[in-house]
Amino acid sequence: MMPDMTQHGKAETKDWKPVANTPVIMFDRVSKTYGRINALGGVSLGISGGVTGILGMNGAGKSTMFKLMMGKVKASSGAIRLFGTDPWKNPAPYSRVGFVPEHEKLHDWMTAFDFVTTFARLHGMTRDEAAGEAARVLSFVSLEDVMHKRIGQFSKGMRQRVKIAHALVNDPELIILDEPLQGCDPLARTTIMNVIKQLGAMGRTVLVSSHILHEIERITEQIVILHRGRVLALGNSHAIREMLDQHPHKIVIDCENPRELAKNFVDLEEVTGITFKTTNKLQIETKHLGEVHKRLPEIIVNSKQLVTGIDNPDDDLQSILMYLTGGSI
Amino acid sequence: MSNRMDTIWSKLDRKSTAIAEFTMRQYRTRISTWAVLGAASVAIFLMLLFYIEAMNTEIEAIDNDGDSFDTDGDGYPDGQERLEGTNPESDQSFPDWVEPDPPEKWINEDDIDWDTLSDGENYVGQDDDGDCENLDTGSQRDTNDNNRECDVVVTIDELNGTINIDADSNVDEDPDEDKYGKEAGHRAFILGIGKFGIVYLLGIFLPLFLATGLIREEMNDGTIHYMLAKPIARGEVLLYRMLGYIGITWPFIIGLCITMALITGFTGPGDGVFRWGDIGVWMTIAWAAMLVSLVYGTIFCGFGIIWKNGVILAILFAAWELGMAFVAILSGGDSSIRYFSVIGWGMIIVDSGVAVCWPDNWQLIQSGLWGGGQGEENWLGEMDYKPLPGAVPLDTFSADSNLGVSSWLAFVISSLVLVFQGVLSWFIGQSIFKGKEVD
Repeated sequence: MMPDMTQHGKAETKDWKPVANTPVIMFDRVSKTYGRINALGGVSLGISGGVTGILGMNGAGKSTMFKLMMGKVKASSGAIRLFGTDPWKNPAPYSRVGFVPEHEKLHDWMTAFDFVTTFARLHGMTRDEAAGEAARVLSFVSLEDVMHKRIGQFSKGMRQRVKIAHALVNDPELIILDEPLQGCDPLARTTIMNVIKQLGAMGRTVLVSSHILHEIERITEQIVILHRGRVLALGNSHAIREMLDQHPHKIVIDCENPRELAKNFVDLEEVTGITFKTTNKLQIETKHLGEVHKRLPEIIVNSKQLVTGIDNPDDDLQSILMYLTGGSI
Repeated sequence: MSNRMDTIWSKLDRKSTAIAEFTMRQYRTRISTWAVLGAASVAIFLMLLFYIEAMNTEIEAIDNDGDSFDTDGDGYPDGQERLEGTNPESDQSFPDWVEPDPPEKWINEDDIDWDTLSDGENYVGQDDDGDCENLDTGSQRDTNDNNRECDVVVTIDELNGTINIDADSNVDEDPDEDKYGKEAGHRAFILGIGKFGIVYLLGIFLPLFLATGLIREEMNDGTIHYMLAKPIARGEVLLYRMLGYIGITWPFIIGLCITMALITGFTGPGDGVFRWGDIGVWMTIAWAAMLVSLVYGTIFCGFGIIWKNGVILAILFAAWELGMAFVAILSGGDSSIRYFSVIGWGMIIVDSGVAVCWPDNWQLIQSGLWGGGQGEENWLGEMDYKPLPGAVPLDTFSADSNLGVSSWLAFVISSLVLVFQGVLSWFIGQSIFKGKEVD
């Protein structure tokens, strides 16, 4: 295959100006195919300002969308504009972008401070400027105490925050975070969510991808649902939540004696069905997930049963997708 | 610092040094880097041990003209009798007015005495032991018929690059094997280890291990995303990564060559304590290895970008270059196919450096190939000359740059060609990198 030599343009940020009066991100009927796999099919979007959650299951096209924005891959058809510039052809808009890739691998041998400083200099900062900015963003993500330790010693959540800090070092107008909460412990999740919310409040355009609706809901109301490379829904999460509540949910409880435990749910009016999955799994069906979850601890304590796990097997996104696609996901 | 310098430096000090510095630190944290550099040093120094041993071993002296032998058993070696004018084949005739010489005095007693030679006919040579001067008739003393008794005619045809040596009998016929062999062996070692060991092997193995993954490993790890998500062109990323690669390999090459120059300079033969004349040759070897490893590095890094198994392409390329290295070394610079390689130009750098630093090198080779005396008749019916020890290896590893220009110009041209090859490889590499989708 002949290499595509269409990329051109200097990465001189001082010569580059964003096009006025255009959305920060513009997708115009963008398609991307990998061989015979259609990763993205005719997506049109315009996003400016605020925090937007990109929801979709694995393989829905979230990462492909981000890769297209970041000029990592070339669109098969359609046009992408980042501040009015085609990112495949010119990397200059990245002076206003912070990108947090989903890849877990980091330069473990560097300290957090070194890592952020090094990549800050790629924005054209001097050593001193970069050091100052690095200290600023690392304390913004609450890593100021450990910033001179090697990244290799960091926990998943800390690593995720290093990545976020490195993306914020140029004070970007657009921040793209690919699955930033994946694999993080609850504390790190909360920190990261707060950081994202703060960025939104500062008037930045933030894109966050996730496959877990709950997470996104805690950050933003503005969501885009991707499914099989297409935009399935776009809008306020409350509206989507209302649709969802009409839809039955399942809760699976791991316990010693499911039959004993089941007795406690029979009288509950929110529960619409009870199934015994295996000898130590009890499945409850409900249309009011929140209500049941609220009462669950009390019921379990009263039943004196040993409960080893609670799981929502059809996670909320799947339910939405089921609903939106009429049951064929 | 002036304001302007400040601006230039601070501009450079941003993206380029950030990536170059990052790359060098990355190399330093990898064990593989140290393994490669360590293995290369060990291999070169092992070769050095052979050299040191050879330099400390006396080369056996050969009595080429057989005049240390006392044919008639009268106690006087044949050479002494010929010098004194008595009959070496009669025990009745001996020079009783002098003490008999020990036989060793008549081994290696007639060294090659050639001054600097120039184009055309040169009348050189000196009959140190008098076995030519004492011959009876003029025709015996002038067997090469040039009307000069007891000389050597060296005819040089610079245009065609031929040399013809025609000596009167018994002139310069018994040179010092040890002296010649050490000098020639020393030079042959420098050129052999320099051209093949450092310019080719080091020049190709350092980039094979250190440059092929320069971009590819980052792509595999996904860490390239951090670099590519910045306002910097991919071509720049490639360029600055190469700078970091040079930052590790070039000091290593220079350090290795300086160490070798010091060790061989003190160990090698010669009247002085240190062989200053070799420094220039080591410098051209280092320079050739630096340029060659830069070109290979850029090419291999490009191979890594093209294909995740780019190292296979690199090995195939290295095989071609190995062939070219042999062609360039063994053809003595006569083959023009070497121009279609990287290593061929690297060798020209060394050859031109040798021509400048050791201007007597070719003369040393020719006198050595000739100086061992006459050997067998070859298939053409001509008499073969036996080479002195070390002459054949030195001849093998020496070559003429054969660019038809002066040595200095050949040095400049071959350096420029390598720089051009490096720039071209970078340009192609960055074009491919720009069109590459990075997942």
